[in-house]
Amino acid sequence: MTSIYLQLSEGAFKMTFEHTPQTATGEQNPSLARRKLHAHADLQIDRSWFDELQQRLSKNGPWDDWTLYQLTMEAEEAKRVESFEELQCLKTLPSVVPMPHQISTASKVLHEMGGRAILADEVGLGKTIEAGLVLKEYMVRGLVKRALILVPASLVLQWVRELNQKFGISAVAQKKEHTWGYDVVVASIDTAKRDPHRDRVLGTDYDIIIIDEAHKLKNKKTTNYQFATQLRKKYCLLLTATPIQNDLDELYNLITLLKPGQLGGQSEFAANFVVDKRLPKNEDQLQEALSTVMIRNRRGDGGIHFTKRFVKNIPITLSPEEKELYDAVTGFVKERYDESGGDLTSMLSLVTLQREVCSSRDAVFLTLVNLFKKTAEDSPLRAKIWGLVDKIKNIKANTKAEKAMELVKEMNEKVIIFTEYRATQEHLLQFFRNHDMVAVPYRGGMNRGKKDWMMDLFRGRAQVLIATEAGGEGINLQFCHHMINFDLPWNPMRVEQRIGRVHRLGQTEDVRIYNLCTLGTIEEHIVNLLHEKINLFELVIGELDHILERFEGGVTLEQKLAKALLESGSDQDLKRQLQSLGNSLSQIRNEVKSTEAGRNPYSPVPDLLIRTDRLGESVEVNP
Amino acid sequence: MNAKQVHKYIHRYLEATNCSIIEKSPAHFTVKLSPEADRELTNRPYYWSFVDRVGAEPETMTYLLVTDKEKYEAAQQQKEQQQPAEAKPDGQAAAADAALARSFGFINTSINAPRIPREDMYFGSRKLEQLFGAAKSKGSFVYLFQEPDKRRENPYVSTPYTAWLGVNMRVEFACDRKREEIHSFGVSLATGLCVDNFHNRLLNLRLTPRLPANVHVTKNGITMGKAQTIIEQTLERKLKTYDYKWAADASARLEEELERIHSYYEPLIEHALEENKPAVQEQYEQRKAEIRWQYEPRVTASAINCGIFHLEGIE
Repeated sequence: MTSIYLQLSEGAFKMTFEHTPQTATGEQNPSLARRKLHAHADLQIDRSWFDELQQRLSKNGPWDDWTLYQLTMEAEEAKRVESFEELQCLKTLPSVVPMPHQISTASKVLHEMGGRAILADEVGLGKTIEAGLVLKEYMVRGLVKRALILVPASLVLQWVRELNQKFGISAVAQKKEHTWGYDVVVASIDTAKRDPHRDRVLGTDYDIIIIDEAHKLKNKKTTNYQFATQLRKKYCLLLTATPIQNDLDELYNLITLLKPGQLGGQSEFAANFVVDKRLPKNEDQLQEALSTVMIRNRRGDGGIHFTKRFVKNIPITLSPEEKELYDAVTGFVKERYDESGGDLTSMLSLVTLQREVCSSRDAVFLTLVNLFKKTAEDSPLRAKIWGLVDKIKNIKANTKAEKAMELVKEMNEKVIIFTEYRATQEHLLQFFRNHDMVAVPYRGGMNRGKKDWMMDLFRGRAQVLIATEAGGEGINLQFCHHMINFDLPWNPMRVEQRIGRVHRLGQTEDVRIYNLCTLGTIEEHIVNLLHEKINLFELVIGELDHILERFEGGVTLEQKLAKALLESGSDQDLKRQLQSLGNSLSQIRNEVKSTEAGRNPYSPVPDLLIRTDRLGESVEVNP
Repeated sequence: MNAKQVHKYIHRYLEATNCSIIEKSPAHFTVKLSPEADRELTNRPYYWSFVDRVGAEPETMTYLLVTDKEKYEAAQQQKEQQQPAEAKPDGQAAAADAALARSFGFINTSINAPRIPREDMYFGSRKLEQLFGAAKSKGSFVYLFQEPDKRRENPYVSTPYTAWLGVNMRVEFACDRKREEIHSFGVSLATGLCVDNFHNRLLNLRLTPRLPANVHVTKNGITMGKAQTIIEQTLERKLKTYDYKWAADASARLEEELERIHSYYEPLIEHALEENKPAVQEQYEQRKAEIRWQYEPRVTASAINCGIFHLEGIE
């Protein structure tokens, strides 16, 4: 559907090659007459109509149609921008119903900030919509024709799609060099700053530039930042949920992009507003200075943010054959680790084996085969691997898949099953098909069209969607409120992404999350850690980021887990190690919670006492 | 423009451009475009240049234009619900068709039928925007006569007509924000009289491109150039009476902003290394230019469309 649509309207995408906006004053145009109208404003009258009329008179035509003449006038009257204030674009957007805070943010940017602002709403409040509204409004008013939207590469298509579908703006994803000629271009900043694009971009006067995920520009020594300062623009929007991550200079740099001097020079800023790089002073003044360039809406404190979440762990006891395989694999992994003399990096892939056993035999099998291929022919390892494969052959049934099937049947509603492994996904698809249940796959490698198609199938006729990928763009599954974690990633952010697909704005039902958890395996520990210690399933989006940032300090949780697993001598030992990991996590979690002083527990800058929140409104996001 | 107005608007456009409406309801049109409309609306410049060069018979496109999405879809749904009952006995025929199609390739299946793209037409949609543009490209310059009132027709008396220069103008008041007005002026080429709201006056008349019988046009008293000057002067006089607080405000903002970046760049330039100075200076100039571009208040007037109108009487 989408592709056809785009193809059809291709011709409607406008290109402007020569554009010198400073000719808003337009002295070059000979048919333009200028007069002083008022001390502050000149009147320019375009006389080209008169010349053309004279010409047609002298040639006795051709003359146009009276009905079309009237229609032209009617269209102009309908399009006329009546007042400075009213948002015109709302009349033209049947496919978006913006929330009140989005409308008020857009109006503030347009009317009070002169079109240069940082939109710093918390995650999930619709910064994209706000930016779209501002862009559309300027386009409807004829103040913006050329727009450049710089976003991370992974978001380019999503932006293009949203602008086209929601806002009816003919935006084009930058692909070839000639794409720069289009009026509205979405590109990744990393591409734009490189040759041969660089010169094209820097040589253009853009009516508006929008930069998404602008916190990536916080460091002014980076090439991205320097590139951004060189862009020529009239209006400019910077979008970020975290305007300050670590220190106040980041905020200063962002604002300098928009309005140099708004906070004074670098040294004045330091003298006036900074005590320590994390601690501001003269907060009221700082706040005032900020309020003219930044808007930050946040979720309401009292209101219902989202529907409820119910999390249930489903304990599963492995069949004797499966348990045997698990133990064998565990033994195998340990042996290798001991042999390697404690070299961690090469072992990480082995740990995967252990996680795969908890998922499905198919997953382990594939990895084992690959491992087999990689080992030298005369290696004694080969026999051992073969032994493991033999154990796989003994397994006749997948306890977990059966349990999942049972759950799905019980729910009798749409459900999404997440797994980490392609092989498991294939296995489950097959398994469900054999049991006369329609399941559709979804994975990162699919192209956009196929993803959309799978999504449509799931919405329309399939009860089950089996996905290996939760991240990335565009999978919004609000119509489904059951999810099964067939296995859990060790990276908590990925778990959060999974949940975020279902539990987001627009979800009207309580969300039910089931974690399948095989007893007596590493999985049991992971579920325990994520659920009990981090309380992951009850955290609000954005919170996890901060916990992890403090906890990890360079080594990811994933790596720490693997290390614990490999180094522990016995089950007891492992338990103890994980216990201590868990304790430090829950400690950090409590710290994060308490520094936020309970008033706004979701602030992304818990330790910066700057109350950026006052810059926007508190928004009750009721589903 | 609401859905109804859009519907009426499209209808008038289609009729004015001689498109053949195949099917219509208050919520949609199915229309085979006329060559004239096809050139404007289908984005097929290559096809048309081919037709023009070869002189082939053009095959125009058929569109489904939906002016009221909800109503149209509800109606479609209802149709579908009724249809299965009728369509069922057809199942065998359909199966036969499918079987034939398999062996002979697609023959008389719906896939072979001409493609009818659907366009949702609502105020703000791209297709409607394009239609606005199409109307404008063929509705900009007219030369018209008032049709005389039939009842008073007297074959022995010739009615005197006056030629008027009429123009519709869009006036834009812009700084970082913008507001627009539309003015319509008519100047009698006989006497130099200038009338405001001229377009409304025209709408009450019946106009035709042909010179009616028993009519004579009064000799022009002023030149076209003079008429144009009169229009500009009238407009200017009118605009001078307006409130320009917005422009004063914008100028003040502009000054404020210029001062702000000055305060930022001046020390920066001063302390910059000698070799970096030109670069910083350039950036400063760029920022200044941007701010002027953003805030400088300006009023611009341009014509929407215009024409010569021959109206009854001498004014």
